[in-house]
Amino acid sequence: MIVACFLLVLLYLAQATAVSAAGYEAQRLAAQRDEVRRQNALLAIESARLDSPARVETEAQRLGLVRAATIRVVGPEAVAATR
Amino acid sequence: MTATVSHTRLRVLFALFASASLLLSTRLAYWQTVGRADLLSRATDQVHSDLAVAAQRGVIRDRSGAVLATTVDLRSLYAIPAQMKDDAGNETRSAVAVALAPILREKVEVLRAAFDSGAEWLFVRRRLPEETAARIAALHLAGLGFEMEPKRLYPNGAVGAQVLGFVNDDGLGQYGVEGRYDDALAGTPGRLAVARDPANRELALGLRTAVPAKNGDELWLTIDLAVQNAVERELAAVVDREKAAGGAVVVLDPKDGAVIAIASSPTYDPARVGTANAEALRNRAISWTYEPGSTMKAITIAAALDRGVVTPSTSYQDVGYAVIGGRTLCNAQCKVYGPTTVTQILARSQNAGAVFVAGKLGASDLNSYLQAFGFGQRTGVDLAAETGGIVRPLAEWYPVDLGTISFGQGLSITPLQLAAAYAAIANGGTLYRPYVVTGRRAADGEHRTAPVPVRRVISEETGATLRTMLTTTVDNGIANAAALKGYSVAGKTGTAQIPSDEGRYVDDAYISSFAGFVPASDPRMVVVVVLEKPQSKLLGTVPAMNTFKAIATDALRYGRVQPDRP
Repeated sequence: MIVACFLLVLLYLAQATAVSAAGYEAQRLAAQRDEVRRQNALLAIESARLDSPARVETEAQRLGLVRAATIRVVGPEAVAATR
Repeated sequence: MTATVSHTRLRVLFALFASASLLLSTRLAYWQTVGRADLLSRATDQVHSDLAVAAQRGVIRDRSGAVLATTVDLRSLYAIPAQMKDDAGNETRSAVAVALAPILREKVEVLRAAFDSGAEWLFVRRRLPEETAARIAALHLAGLGFEMEPKRLYPNGAVGAQVLGFVNDDGLGQYGVEGRYDDALAGTPGRLAVARDPANRELALGLRTAVPAKNGDELWLTIDLAVQNAVERELAAVVDREKAAGGAVVVLDPKDGAVIAIASSPTYDPARVGTANAEALRNRAISWTYEPGSTMKAITIAAALDRGVVTPSTSYQDVGYAVIGGRTLCNAQCKVYGPTTVTQILARSQNAGAVFVAGKLGASDLNSYLQAFGFGQRTGVDLAAETGGIVRPLAEWYPVDLGTISFGQGLSITPLQLAAAYAAIANGGTLYRPYVVTGRRAADGEHRTAPVPVRRVISEETGATLRTMLTTTVDNGIANAAALKGYSVAGKTGTAQIPSDEGRYVDDAYISSFAGFVPASDPRMVVVVVLEKPQSKLLGTVPAMNTFKAIATDALRYGRVQPDRP
């Protein structure tokens, strides 16, 4: 009887310890997830900054690119005629 | 030998023990009953934490989904000076200041003074750029730590600042969309109550009450980032070239009132809003009023055509001036044109001709049409800090006002009001409420903004007639500099004097503007350009038209709009 009680208490303590440890691990993983999300958000902002038309224009000028003087617009009728 | 303890001593000792036991028992009984709640509360406070969980502020995107504003947690650097010690226990404040100074671009003495200020805990820098925070973290300096704080970021820099607004240090949206939609963007904070261990880690077995935060809504704007960029680039260039005091540009979709771009100069960088002056924070397209001048002739003539009191071919004999209410109102340079049709009045921008048309229309009808076109009242655009301009009530009009108001003097308007009115002409007569937010993504789904037709102002037929007349004004008239190769353009210039505080007009200073739409045959955009005090003075409409052309060229190319002319 005493041994059985002792084993039960031992089992309870083992389970409580395991749950606590799992809780700490879950917390660590949640923090890791939050940090990865944050890094992802920072990358999305950097991507948006790089895509910004103002930056693209400045970069194009730096590379010596110029605006097209004329743009030929081909209408649907002309496209259809070539087929 | 046996020691004998006297009975008296034993009794005293017993009494002492008995008293002590009684006191302890009483105290124990007190803590178990009366003081139980207090003890329990103190114990609970040691392990429980109850924190507000911040809601994530909503993202703002342009019409194609490009991010215009978003929020991310950045690391704020704090210091606990008392903990700045090395392994041997020696104080390291100076060493920490020396190590931080070059990274933070701060003077060593300033940092040292902050550490020596006596504060137990202080922020050294808030919301550091990620690279800076990483460099500091790598130093592993004792007495320093990081705390996450949300930061509103604008990846396009100053582009769109006037329409977006900004978020202040208290997290409140100010101006623009941030100000107007602050409640929707901010969301609702949550709450998290948990038990924590001495290392401040949450305990899995213990109290846990969580009310999740409701994040802010995501907003999709009608703004086109590419067009907005072109508008701001061209506005900054012309203001710089013309050494103008300021300027504004509005680009509207005439079919539904969607604001494609809106810009104001001077402007500011939302990332450095603390350095911006009050004038830069004001969006001149909606919060600034001016006397419009001749761009209003199109409105006067639209009203007269719609009332049926004139036709495009109605003519009068121009003598260079008109007399009304005992006052003589001249054409520019008092030029005499002789026989003139209503179409030519618009094409040549004749003041006397506008007075002639207004005379046919009458003050009551002119006032009614001004109200119908939306002047003198806020457009209702969903941006913070809009003003309505001034159109005096008819009862306050002097006889001469019919003449001066017919060519845009004696009333004040905003650039957005003018754009909305020209949009009504462009779309066949319906005044739409301009709007900036096209959709909202919330927890309960997506909500689209339906365009709001305010009222029909003029008939389809009047709209079509006026489009033709305004096209003539660009093709063969005063606004020829706004003509575009391959596209029909309809528009009108405006040069207005500036009223002073003394009630007179300022000498030799003007507000130059151009309002137009393109392609005139099937308008895709209305563009209004307004320049305050350009150095070209009376010729200031030319740079305004050049700005219109540059913006329209970019926007038409970007929008892949088919040319309507060879």
